[in-house]
Amino acid sequence: MALDPDRIDAAFYADLRRHWSEEEIVELGAFIGFNIGYHTFFGTLKFYPMFAPDGRLVSQEESARIYGAAPASLSRGQGTGDKGKGAGS
Amino acid sequence: MSFVQPLAPNEITDPELQALIRRCEALGVPDALFPRVLARAPDHAKALLAALLHSHAEGGVDHGLKEIIRVRLARTAGDPYFAGLRSARARGAGLDETMIEAGAGKFEEDARFTDAAKWALRYAREMYLNPEKVDEAFYAEGKRHYTEAQIMELGAFIAFHYGMQSFTRALGLGNKR
Repeated sequence: MALDPDRIDAAFYADLRRHWSEEEIVELGAFIGFNIGYHTFFGTLKFYPMFAPDGRLVSQEESARIYGAAPASLSRGQGTGDKGKGAGS
Repeated sequence: MSFVQPLAPNEITDPELQALIRRCEALGVPDALFPRVLARAPDHAKALLAALLHSHAEGGVDHGLKEIIRVRLARTAGDPYFAGLRSARARGAGLDETMIEAGAGKFEEDARFTDAAKWALRYAREMYLNPEKVDEAFYAEGKRHYTEAQIMELGAFIAFHYGMQSFTRALGLGNKR
């Protein structure tokens, strides 16, 4: 859905129906769509985890020092194992 | 067409969901088709439709501007369903196809858009085409035009509608084949 939406065709849905009910397919699709939209938005906000690895509540500045300069969500395809054409492409 | 068949109106018996679908039909975005597909997962349908309506038609950012942004996003997502729908409320307030086309085109050179509207349109354009451009400097410029609440409203609106447009594209809604 995010990387190659043209591949989601009638045959794809037929395969889905071997594993999932219609209700579950709709639930999955909505969930995936929601995440496609929001993760990119969250990435632009450059916010960081509220908690350090040891469980302490930390400021955004301290969290940035702990977790790095750029949130992973701004890196296209990172961590998915996909080649990643990127959002909107 | 839809790869997942919509429920028939008489198969949707939940009064809350029925009321939400009537609100969708009155606004025109979405029309009844997407809600009737979503109705196969009724609890999700209620939450998503309420949020879709709220993000588009309520809040502190002009509804007409959101409508222009929404159509632009649907074209970016390659979604003919949402791209073909129009808000009756925005149309009633005077929004016409000329402005919608202008918002989907070279809006930065168009004197009919304010600097604030141009920033919002850039926000929608860059979010999914060049998200790395939506950086600290970009938000600093946005804060010259909008409150933080309005920026969050716009960002959430853009993210939510783009996400649902990605879903309706995958459902095949709006395809003529």
